[in-house]
Amino acid sequence: MITYATDETFKELISGEHAMVDFFGVNCGPCKILTKVLEDIEEELPFANIVKVDTDKCPKTSEEFHIVGIPDVYFFKNGSVVFHSTGMLDADEIKEKLAEIMY
Amino acid sequence: MDRVDIAIIGSGPAGISAAVNAKIRNKSFLLFGRKELSHKVNISKEIRNYIGFPSVSGKELNERFAAHLRDMEIEITEETITGIYNMGKYFMLLADQKVFEATTVIIAIGAETVKPLPGERELLGKGVSYCATCDGNLFKGKTIAVFCDNESHEHEVNYLAELAKKVYYFPNFASTLSMPNVENTKSKIAKILGNSCVSDIELKDGTKITVDGVFFLKQAVAADVLLGKLETEGGHIVTDRRMQTNIKGCFACGDCTGAPYQIAKSVGEGNIALHSAISYLAEMGKKDDEFEDK
Repeated sequence: MITYATDETFKELISGEHAMVDFFGVNCGPCKILTKVLEDIEEELPFANIVKVDTDKCPKTSEEFHIVGIPDVYFFKNGSVVFHSTGMLDADEIKEKLAEIMY
Repeated sequence: MDRVDIAIIGSGPAGISAAVNAKIRNKSFLLFGRKELSHKVNISKEIRNYIGFPSVSGKELNERFAAHLRDMEIEITEETITGIYNMGKYFMLLADQKVFEATTVIIAIGAETVKPLPGERELLGKGVSYCATCDGNLFKGKTIAVFCDNESHEHEVNYLAELAKKVYYFPNFASTLSMPNVENTKSKIAKILGNSCVSDIELKDGTKITVDGVFFLKQAVAADVLLGKLETEGGHIVTDRRMQTNIKGCFACGDCTGAPYQIAKSVGEGNIALHSAISYLAEMGKKDDEFEDK
C-alpha cells in the first residue's frame, strides 16, 4: 500500500516490520517515473508498505535525512535503515529489496 | 502519448540513418533532436570520404540529410532527453516535464559529452545535481555553485538564484545575468570535494569555495547518466556487432560508441542498430504471443 506521509505521521509509518520510503518532489521528472513504477509494484505486492514523502511538504523529515537529491529511497526493516539509494531504481531492484525486508 | 516501437535519440548521421530505415520498415518511432540536425557535421569545412560525394561541405551534406527527412515525411521531436528508464518490457524517456514511452531505444547522442570533473560522479545525488527543477528546492537559503554550458538553460540559473542564499555562477559563455546574490566567476571549477556529501569546490586557480551543492546545467548528458547501468568504457557506450548494449532493447550507434568519428561509420551503425531493434521487437512479439496462447 502506498501512503503519503506528513512530518507528523512519518515516524509511525516506518515503525512497523518493514517500509520503503520514497522522498520525492512534485516538479521532479524522475520522481514521476518512480511513482509510476511504485504504483505498478503496489498492484503486484499490495502488502508492501510504501511511504512517499513530498520534500516540499515535509521539510523536517527531509532535513533529518539530509535529502540533497531526489528521488531518494530508503528501505527499513524493524525501524532500521538497511538500504539507501539516491536516484532512480528500476522495478526489479525495488522488488528484490522489498522481498529482502518483507520476508 | 502512445508507446512507440523505437525511440531514436540524436539527429546526427547515425540517428537519421536509423530513422530513415525505421520509416522504410514501417515502424512507429520518434526521432529526438534539433532542427540543425548535427552541429558537428554542419561546421565541417570539407568532407571527402563519404561515397557519392567526392567533395562536399558539411553544411551541404547536412542540408541533404534534412531534405531526405523532409522527403520521407520524418519529423524531428525537438526535445532534449534527460533520462531513460528501463521499465523491463519498455523504456520511459524523460524530457523536462514530458514523458515518452518506447519498446526499444537507439542512442545516437554523439561524442560531445564533456568528461565529468573529479568528484562530480562520486557525489551525484549527494549535493551534485543535473536537475535544477528536481533538486532546487532542497537548497533553499543555501550556498551553491552552478555551471551552465549554454544560454538556453540560463532561466534555470535564475530559478536557483531565487531559492539559494548565494550562487557562485560558472557560465561557459558570455553571460549577462545580474542578480544581487549571484557572483559571476571567471575561473573554472577543477574538482568537487566532499566525503558523504559536497563540502567545497576547488577552482583551476586553486581557490576553495565552501558550498552546499553544485548544479551542472549541461546540454549533453553522459550516456551512463542518461540510462543507469549502461556499460561504458572511456566515455563510450559498449556494444556488440549488432549495436546491442548491455541493456536488452537498448542499442547505440555513431560517435557515442567510439572512434573513428566518421559519418560513414555512423550511418552504417545507425542502419545496423535499427535492424537489430526490429529483430528485438519481433522476438518480443513472439514472446507475447506465446504468453497469450498459454
